[in-house]
Amino acid sequence: MRVLLVEDDNEMASSLRGSLEQDDHVVDWAADGEDGETRAMTGTYDVIVLDRMLPKKHGTHVVRALRDKGVSTPVLILSALHDEEHRIEGLDAGANDYLGKPFSTRELLARVRALWHGRDPAPQTRLLVGDLDMDLLGRTVHRGGKKIDLQPREFRLLEYLMRHAGQTVTRKMLLENVWDYHFDPQTNVIDVHISRLRSKIDKEYPGTLLHTVRGAGYRLEA
Amino acid sequence: MSRPLSDPRAASAASGSGIGLRLGTLLRTTTFRLGLVQAGVVLAFVVALLGYVYFATAGQLTRDAAVAADQEYAALERAYAEGGIRRLNQEVVERAARQGPFLYMLADANGEIVTGDFRRLPVTPGEAEQRIDFPFERVVGDQVERGRALGRVGRLLGGPILLVARDLGDTAIIVQRITRVLYTVAVLGVALSVASGLLASGQAARRAQALSHTARDVMAGDLSRRAPVRGAGDEFDTLAEDMNAMLDRIERLIQTTRTAGDAIAHDLRSPLTRFKQKLETALEAPPERGADRQALEKAVEEADRILDMFAAVLKLARVESAVNWRLEPVNLTAVARELAEFYEPAAEEIGLSFKADIADDLVLAGEEGLLTQALSNLVENAMKYIPPGGRIELRARRGGEHFIRLSVLDDGPGVPFEERERVTGRFVRLESARSSQGVGLGLALVSAVARLHRGQLELNDGLGDAGNPGLDATLVLPTSDGGVSSRHA
Repeated sequence: MRVLLVEDDNEMASSLRGSLEQDDHVVDWAADGEDGETRAMTGTYDVIVLDRMLPKKHGTHVVRALRDKGVSTPVLILSALHDEEHRIEGLDAGANDYLGKPFSTRELLARVRALWHGRDPAPQTRLLVGDLDMDLLGRTVHRGGKKIDLQPREFRLLEYLMRHAGQTVTRKMLLENVWDYHFDPQTNVIDVHISRLRSKIDKEYPGTLLHTVRGAGYRLEA
Repeated sequence: MSRPLSDPRAASAASGSGIGLRLGTLLRTTTFRLGLVQAGVVLAFVVALLGYVYFATAGQLTRDAAVAADQEYAALERAYAEGGIRRLNQEVVERAARQGPFLYMLADANGEIVTGDFRRLPVTPGEAEQRIDFPFERVVGDQVERGRALGRVGRLLGGPILLVARDLGDTAIIVQRITRVLYTVAVLGVALSVASGLLASGQAARRAQALSHTARDVMAGDLSRRAPVRGAGDEFDTLAEDMNAMLDRIERLIQTTRTAGDAIAHDLRSPLTRFKQKLETALEAPPERGADRQALEKAVEEADRILDMFAAVLKLARVESAVNWRLEPVNLTAVARELAEFYEPAAEEIGLSFKADIADDLVLAGEEGLLTQALSNLVENAMKYIPPGGRIELRARRGGEHFIRLSVLDDGPGVPFEERERVTGRFVRLESARSSQGVGLGLALVSAVARLHRGQLELNDGLGDAGNPGLDATLVLPTSDGGVSSRHA
């Protein structure tokens, strides 16, 4: 897919560009906010990765301008400032995701892919991955016709994984989207939650759905 | 013809404006203006007071004289009405002969003097009666008497001119004295008020200047300077004390930053060294085998640790600066319950029992993200330090009417009493925890979050016994409807 990278730091840009290209994306690079906005206006990109502090035009202003003109391309903002207020400011301006620096390349790639797949979500009442079946209205989950009892938080965790089925989701993404926590636990809390979920949805069934991606996170895949 | 550049007028105007500027500056000082206003008020008061005194004393004497003269005039008018010019003349002669305080004069219609104390008319009378006030001379025996008189002169029916006046004599002297005293008092009063105004304004100006000097010294780089406090408890003292408190806080912040900088430099040395070693090891691997993957992975881990440390320090600095945070109502009951739910599985996984005891309706004005992280740091600390089989308890309760207490208790090794203050500092890890992960900023952040909410972090013995006291880490937070309110919190 086509990614527009707007980043003023040359080294950072070329390293990000390399990683994105290795992940099979076609990357265009703009070095300042105005150039970035002009290119983004063409609407030919699938995802825009936008630095917050940019010369000529601030990242959040670029997003706002794009949204005002009806450009709905998913935008991921990168920023050294990732306190709640900055995050909210970015998301309010119309960004779809916000990633604080420093971040790992895997984290960025996972989020770029999630943005592409997650865009334009048609209202769904049912999620299906293999023989795993989630009814969003009835709040029930079945696998192979058998009902699985989940705690509310486990339900949300599984829902997020199912909405991003086939993609790697990082621990940070889970923390932010399922628990709304924006700090790094020093303990393996997320892994424990995943293993509990796994014991409910995978243990007694043939075929593993919830996979661990070493050094990156998890992937739900039939 | 163009004007020469070295126009002397221009030069003198320039130097003149310099002087004008200095005078202008003096006039602009608040204290000088206040001095002037004070002098003005005193002056107005003195003038009003003296006016009243004059009116009540000298003025009264003069008015009495005028009334007496009028009565005498009226009596003579009656004599004229009863007995004509002859009777009037007789009356005047008789009265003059009594040597009373009155002076008389009668002249015919043409102004020729008929009888009286004067040889000529002191004034030219008009058609109507009029009040007169004039100096006079008269001969008494062989002496010439000088004085002032106040009275009435008028033309009677048929033309004769009558003048009756009262010799002011002693009255004039008294009036003169009173007037002189009043002048003296007025001059003295004004001088005194101007002097006291200048003195007061000068003093205020000096104290303002002392504060200004302190500020300049601080600007010049001497942060240890403090404004003088005289102990008078006046507004200058209040200002000086506030200024000193502000400087104390700034100095403390700078000191903290400096310490943090040193600590970061110190603590970064070892991970950076390890980072470099790992990269070198990877490079030393034989070229045909490519880079040593394991060494590179270790290097990445070290780099992550360094970045984590920076992130933690930056966050701590932002919390400590205490600006930019908007405090909004936070439901601590929900925060604590969600955290308990979040950590319970992980605690059980490593063989710890996890209990939550959380009261309903705990709400306070705060920053939810920071409070969540603070409580999470306490839980993670407990999970890190206590051995398998241990107990953790998360408590959230009201502590009296104005406080909420968020506690994490455990039965682990605890923190020795003498170490308790130190562990809330930066980059402190107890010897027992040296090997574990973390950058040693956890409790420092909790403590800073407590301070941001005008509360504090208390460390006490926890759930253990004498040998293994455990730790009770409690965030004591005042609720917005009361509690501690310190301006310098």
